[in-house]
Amino acid sequence: MDFLQLAVNALALGAAYALVALGFVLILNATAAVNFAQGDLVAAGGFLAVALAGILPVPGLLLLPLVAVLMAAVGLAVCAVAYWPLRDRPPVAVFISTIALGIILQNGLNGLFGAEPRAAPPLSGSGHLEIGGLVVARQSLAIMVVAALLIVGLRSLLWHTQLGRRLRATGQDREVAAALGIPVGAMVALTFALAAALAGAAGLLLANQFFITPTHGTDFIVKAYIAVVIGGWGRVGGALAGAMLVALFETVVAALADYAVATGLLYGALLAILVLRPQGLFGEAEGRRA
Amino acid sequence: MYRSFAIPAAAALSALVLLAGAARAETPHIPILVPVTGFLSLEGTSQRNGAVMALEQAIAAKSRVSYEISDTATSPEVAVNAMERALREVHTAAVVGPILGTQMLAMLPLAEEYEVPLVTISGTARLTEMGNPWIFRFFPGDAVTKVAHARYVVEELGRTRPAILYQTTAYGQSGRGHLETVFRSLGAEPVYEEGLDVSIKDMTPVLAKAMAAHPDVLVLHLHSTSTALLVRQARAHGIDLPIVAGSAMHQPATAAILESAELKDVCAETGSSPISGGSPGLERFTAAYRAAFGSEPDAFALAQYDATRMVLAALEDGATSGTAMRDWLASHAFDGLAMTYRSDGTGNMAHDAVIVCYDGKSRVPQVVKRYESVGLAR
Repeated sequence: MDFLQLAVNALALGAAYALVALGFVLILNATAAVNFAQGDLVAAGGFLAVALAGILPVPGLLLLPLVAVLMAAVGLAVCAVAYWPLRDRPPVAVFISTIALGIILQNGLNGLFGAEPRAAPPLSGSGHLEIGGLVVARQSLAIMVVAALLIVGLRSLLWHTQLGRRLRATGQDREVAAALGIPVGAMVALTFALAAALAGAAGLLLANQFFITPTHGTDFIVKAYIAVVIGGWGRVGGALAGAMLVALFETVVAALADYAVATGLLYGALLAILVLRPQGLFGEAEGRRA
Repeated sequence: MYRSFAIPAAAALSALVLLAGAARAETPHIPILVPVTGFLSLEGTSQRNGAVMALEQAIAAKSRVSYEISDTATSPEVAVNAMERALREVHTAAVVGPILGTQMLAMLPLAEEYEVPLVTISGTARLTEMGNPWIFRFFPGDAVTKVAHARYVVEELGRTRPAILYQTTAYGQSGRGHLETVFRSLGAEPVYEEGLDVSIKDMTPVLAKAMAAHPDVLVLHLHSTSTALLVRQARAHGIDLPIVAGSAMHQPATAAILESAELKDVCAETGSSPISGGSPGLERFTAAYRAAFGSEPDAFALAQYDATRMVLAALEDGATSGTAMRDWLASHAFDGLAMTYRSDGTGNMAHDAVIVCYDGKSRVPQVVKRYESVGLAR
């Protein structure tokens, strides 16, 4: 297995991580608070895909819109329960409430689905393709394409629509946005819905190739947090780059060194960035850190 | 008039309450303290189901015994609190202790203080090395299973260049240590070894490095999800070496997420494999388990079922106090469904292991080799 093979794997893994990190950043920007339940929403999306596949035996690609819509509804519920009642409290209150909600989600998934690992249906077909000597899982290719489309779609929504401008205005300064007549509450709720939909999509994408258990959310949130810190707190593009970097350490660096060394190097890089460039590799949109 | 009725009625009620309390106090109680949430919930749920099945069967057969279930999650503090709560009120004959070794280590002093035996399937080697007479382990530890694991690789498969991939958890480190020692004693020097964190999703890097060392077998000692990921990705990259995995691979839940074809030439060590059958008793157990819990039983469920049945046998024999129960468990042998259990003097009750292999056509493995009384003077 050569470098190219590892790079392809890193790209597929990074694309899925990017969806998790983007959802994290959206809420961070809209509320100035960290949503620590984002990883558990990924697990919830994975299990939702598993459950839907039991009812509708269709490829994952056809389940994806349904998972996204249902997860958006879950996102609204998360907003109503873990954010809205605490919106005027310091961000640390939301930090705690989302940790609590994440634990409830984990245990709820455990109660509903059991603790065993599950696999969601593949997006378009299982198996592997050989492309120029590279063994590429069809699911990996599908993950890259779908994640890229979702990221482009999200960027278009945020930068090229009136709704996106309202969402960004809310994220930049809620008081000014409210003064301009933007329904801030609705924008925050919509952000939670979008973030949960992205988490659900990531869950569906990851749960086929890498399986899913109720406790996997913890892994995802740690990776999203690292990606966002590396890329730049609150930067959408930074989260994307950070997610790719995390995946690169997990695959390419881990192939050159030990996994433990690769993990140590990743955290070393994180510490170095915090010390030398606290705004992250791509600057910082807002000045607050939870 | 009311007064004349009230006094005898109150007296009768008090007598009933006292009698009921006395009866409850005399009914042997078995708390089941296991992790049904957290990262060991798959194994903890099996443990709970095995214990519950044995107890429900005993209750249905009119045995006087009661039980309660508490979730110990993943931290020692929660386990200790659950044990203190369980021991506070009623007559406890024995406690079903969690599979998680760090929790068991924290609970051992309490078992000694309250003089209550802890019956468990935890594999942590130290539990039975501390001289605590209140611990009884009903699942073969690494000193048994890893001997079977390595001997099967070398003696049956004839492979002498193993690549050992293990989890970085306490479970993984302990197994790796035993595997390394046994392989060396068998003249098979491991050509590659690496520890994997449970959060690792992409196994390609470790497979690339392992294959560069030219192994003739992949030896795994990983948890369920990591085992499945490694098997799938190895097969996807055309690595057709035999894979001999740890007990996680025997679990029906692990096999269920892999394709049958991916399981060709995959074997696993374990204490038993209920779904593979082998005796009418095992088949009855598997059918009853499926009916009760709607899932497939694994070796952990069967081991805890056997352990609880041995405790119930001790109760039937009059060992109702903690001390009597300890002495009974330490001095008797018990023919369980998985194997015959007897203490080696330190509380290790299980000394047999089996190797199961998949044929690439089914997700039900077959027992291909049995190792009995490993490390035990016969």
